[in-house]
Amino acid sequence: MTKNALREERIELLRALRLSTEIAKHLLSATLRPYLSAVRSTLEAAMCLENFSSQVVERHNKPEVEVRTSKELLLNPVVISRNEKEKVLIEASINSVRISISIKQADEIEKILCHKFMRFMMMRAENFVVLRRKPVEGYDISFLITNFHTEAMYKHKLVDFVIHFMEEIDKEISEMKLAVNARARVCAEEFLKRVCRLTFPSSVLLLNFIVFLVLKP
Amino acid sequence: MPWDSSIYFRFIDVYDYNVAYSEESCGSLIWLFRPLGIDQSIWGTDNIEALKTVLRNAPISSRNQMVKDAALNVVMQVLLSMKSSQIEEAVNALDRDHLDILMKYIYRGFETPSEGSSGQLLAWHEKVHAVAGVGCIVRVLTDKKRV
Repeated sequence: MTKNALREERIELLRALRLSTEIAKHLLSATLRPYLSAVRSTLEAAMCLENFSSQVVERHNKPEVEVRTSKELLLNPVVISRNEKEKVLIEASINSVRISISIKQADEIEKILCHKFMRFMMMRAENFVVLRRKPVEGYDISFLITNFHTEAMYKHKLVDFVIHFMEEIDKEISEMKLAVNARARVCAEEFLKRVCRLTFPSSVLLLNFIVFLVLKP
Repeated sequence: MPWDSSIYFRFIDVYDYNVAYSEESCGSLIWLFRPLGIDQSIWGTDNIEALKTVLRNAPISSRNQMVKDAALNVVMQVLLSMKSSQIEEAVNALDRDHLDILMKYIYRGFETPSEGSSGQLLAWHEKVHAVAGVGCIVRVLTDKKRV
């Protein structure tokens, strides 16, 4: 096979891969729309917050969902799941709401990317305002929205933000995964080019064979 | 727990003492003695009637977790067996109280997702929300009589 034919074959394969991921996304969106609308309506119901000073300590004002001393101030926690892997936990109280999201992580590389990305954002939680520095046990990322936030910002915009966040996270992680795979492929190619001592056409064949075996997209 | 100090009152659970919240006598125990297979005979082909029956007899006042779990299993069976086209009809046939109880069961069903169950439950959630509104969800969050 000539070099051009090989390159064309590779381009065809990449195109087919992109098409199949598009189709998969279209199929997945069958549960995505109802999932996001269920989360949206539950958030609208849960985010009815008012100022409430601490009953236990004088002159203190704490988010009751974090402190949890008085049972009468806490609402029932509620879970909305899209499948076994993806779910959202919404815990509300009189002056605060805690929203914990469990993100879809299909394989090892997505787990690592998700973990790093969430860590990056949680370290900058102060700039995010509504983000919690540590996720709740069993989830990947948590938001803490208090009555002060709902007083300063529009409630429907806060809800929009959380929903938008949930949509974009999945897209960003898939993009990062594609980028990692592409970079790994290029690195492997360059490395093998220098190491392989065969004649050029057969070395290119061997290269492609190894690269497609090892780096499955 | 500082039982002898003056802040003891903060740790009392008011609902332990609320007489109105006590267990009904035998209505809820039916759920324990009714193995899942027998339910087929009351369903027949009318899923909507079956749904109304299970919601009418829902053990919301019971304190027994086993009874509630047994009831949840039956309700899940009914909800997941109905086809997407029947959901709207079923929701329109229910009254306000039953819709609240149904919504409570939907949220409980989300907690234990199985193969394909969440997709169905999301469809139920959408339809119930369209009929009963945000108030239904607020009642799920605030009602101490959990399902």
